[in-house]
Amino acid sequence: MTAEASALISVLVVDDAAFMRLAIKNVLNKHGFTVVADAKNGQEGVDKYKEFKPDVVTMDITMPDMTGIEALRLIREFDPNARVVMISAMGQESMVKEAILSGAKSFIVKPYKEEHITQTLLKVASKC
Amino acid sequence: MAPENNQDESLLELFVFETGQNAQQLEQVVLAAESQGGFSHDQVNEVFRIMHTIKGSAAMMSFVGIAKLAHRMEDLFFYIRENPEASYDSRAVSDMILSCMDFINQELERIRSGEPADQEDNQLLIHRIDLLMSVMTGNSEPHAGCSAKPPAGVSAPAPVPLGSESPGAKRYKAIILFEDGCAMEDVRAYSVTVEVGEYAKVLSYEPQDIMENGESAARVREHGFTIRFETELSLEEVRKKLMQTVFLSELDLVCETVEAAPTEAGHDDAEAHEGHPEAAEAPEASEAAKKPAANQDSTAQYHQQPQSIISVSVNKLDLMMDLMGELVIAKTMVVENPEIAKLEVADFNKSAAHLSKIVTEMQELVMSMRLVPLSATFHRMQRVVRDMSNTLNKDVHLTLIGEDTSVDKNVIEHIADPLIHLVRNSIDHGIESAEERARAGKSPTATVTLEAQNAGGNVLVSIRDDGRGLDREKILARARANNLLTKPESEYTDREVYNMIFLPGFSTNEKVTEFSGRGVGMDVVMQNISQIGGSVAIESEPGKGMNTLLKIPLTIAILDGMNVSVGDTRLTVPIAAICESFKPRQQDILKDIDGNEMIMVRGECYAVLRLHRQWNVQTSVTQLTDGILMMVEQDGKKRCIFVDKLVGRQQVVVKALPAYLKKTPLSRCLSGLTLLGDGSISLILDAGWLVETSINGQ
Repeated sequence: MTAEASALISVLVVDDAAFMRLAIKNVLNKHGFTVVADAKNGQEGVDKYKEFKPDVVTMDITMPDMTGIEALRLIREFDPNARVVMISAMGQESMVKEAILSGAKSFIVKPYKEEHITQTLLKVASKC
Repeated sequence: MAPENNQDESLLELFVFETGQNAQQLEQVVLAAESQGGFSHDQVNEVFRIMHTIKGSAAMMSFVGIAKLAHRMEDLFFYIRENPEASYDSRAVSDMILSCMDFINQELERIRSGEPADQEDNQLLIHRIDLLMSVMTGNSEPHAGCSAKPPAGVSAPAPVPLGSESPGAKRYKAIILFEDGCAMEDVRAYSVTVEVGEYAKVLSYEPQDIMENGESAARVREHGFTIRFETELSLEEVRKKLMQTVFLSELDLVCETVEAAPTEAGHDDAEAHEGHPEAAEAPEASEAAKKPAANQDSTAQYHQQPQSIISVSVNKLDLMMDLMGELVIAKTMVVENPEIAKLEVADFNKSAAHLSKIVTEMQELVMSMRLVPLSATFHRMQRVVRDMSNTLNKDVHLTLIGEDTSVDKNVIEHIADPLIHLVRNSIDHGIESAEERARAGKSPTATVTLEAQNAGGNVLVSIRDDGRGLDREKILARARANNLLTKPESEYTDREVYNMIFLPGFSTNEKVTEFSGRGVGMDVVMQNISQIGGSVAIESEPGKGMNTLLKIPLTIAILDGMNVSVGDTRLTVPIAAICESFKPRQQDILKDIDGNEMIMVRGECYAVLRLHRQWNVQTSVTQLTDGILMMVEQDGKKRCIFVDKLVGRQQVVVKALPAYLKKTPLSRCLSGLTLLGDGSISLILDAGWLVETSINGQ
């Protein structure tokens, strides 16, 4: 897919680690995605989803206060068509499965390569 | 590519910063848990979460050492979290975490200074974690990590038994291969079953145990994932859907049903059921309509809490401080310009006063921005005390008072090491063994108190212990052995004796321990503190304990100074070091047998240091009675400095010595330079040098 395809895709990045947010945003900006907002915990993620209605959300699983899976459920409750991609780490298989049953569209495993993110987001965004 | 490099740089910076913070937070949690005697559920969660974050970030930056270690710790805490009834030695676990944090901090330090990371071996640490783990799990599964069982209530959609064909449905078989390196192939396969389940009836898949068996990932990786399902969709439509699978590398899709004529109507039905965008909009809209209130509330809340704190790089603050200094000088140059003073300009004084007021306010603001509370530095001592009391088997309690007291960022950097050293010294040398304390009738728990308080432009930090105090005789004996005595022993005051422990190479402790070392240190403490214009004083009472008092200036960038002149040379002496200035009377001027000049002040004799003679400066003022004597005290030593005249008191902005001056002997006498209001340069004299230097003879 080309950069033009990604230009129309708005993304919300949810991660408690500022480092991860920056890392993901860097990759997305580089490949022409539009990062409309980022959030540092589940609740903020849900709020920002409602505010910005992004095409895709990248959601960390392990976060304080509200986990990514809870946030995923709330977002899906608000918008059953929400496209949420979980950011997980090796060793979180069971949580990823839970997330997929809860409606996550896909997942990215840390440490990821740039093309993992772009490819996943493009595919998820183009799904109907 | 330059911009990309920048991006990487800031990413690295953020990584080091955030991981450092995480490590600090972790340490707090562990110490808190320890004082409660065990980890609470929340604390376990927090440790787990922090380790998880560190692992993720480190793996992203390819710092394998940190990532691996954090991963094992995460596993360990995952186990503890999932098995709350498991018994474990919380002491051993917190020791473990702290060792890991030490390793991670070392790595961060290396990364920060640009050295390659992952140089050090952490196999031993990892091995220790594994050992703890296997003890906990009862040896049965030494590496039971997060890949345990799926949580209750989560199960794969049950494959529908074969043969339950609905009319018009066709049976498909798809073999899917994922791209190399996409990771978690089993879960990816699983997510395919969920997705296919949305538009088709899943009949069976292979491997069947993708949900339960972590090993299945490898099978999927090598042989692919086979799924059989039936749906009314056409082959092309199914292919299109499956092609959207993320990280799909190969798809082999066949229709296994003997072709019955496909009906167009069937297609349309299927498409409508299958959540086309148009169809999906309705529920979305109604869903949104259901809770508009909640939606608005949370957005409003979000807007009400704007970010009230931002972080700024210290470099920028330093630069701002520098510019502020220039501004102060420039202001003085304008306001006190002698040419302007001659002119009769209406309102100039008023405007000048206004300008001065704003500049002063701004200067205070800029200074306050650089102030950082001592709490972080103080809390680091908790760890020092804990480690030492464990190793030395002394029961020590640390009390912190006034940790909110703030000092300049630069100052904090200079006092952290001295503080650690003093606390270690107190515990190692000051605090007695348990038996000794019992004999002296003291409580078995020793107390070390760290206290900070503001005192004008200074901060007083005191490190107190209730140990045995300093031993005058022991110190004198050691001084004798090292030939440090300059007068009969009985003439030394207690204060002078105590100050001897700051002499280079002095130590009364015969034993060398892991912590206190061989007497290099107390002199370094002294050096560090006087470098920033502070002073150290010691109070001690035998059997009751000792108290080390540090007097530290709030900031080292701005100095309250007295400007003096010697010939054409302008000099600045730190006000803090000046006891008094006076015009000597002829009858008070004495000479000792070597012809050295002395001055008698209230019955005490002080050596006189003539600055013009010290540096061969040409001046017309050579008679002591014509000039000014300034009594300077530093580290308990006093001396009278002879200068031509006092110019005035001024807050000056300290500039570091330029490189070409640093190499000259002059650099030992000066602590910096400053610009005066008229644009001339003034040398800031080092108070320590003033009282230490040998006086040039006649």
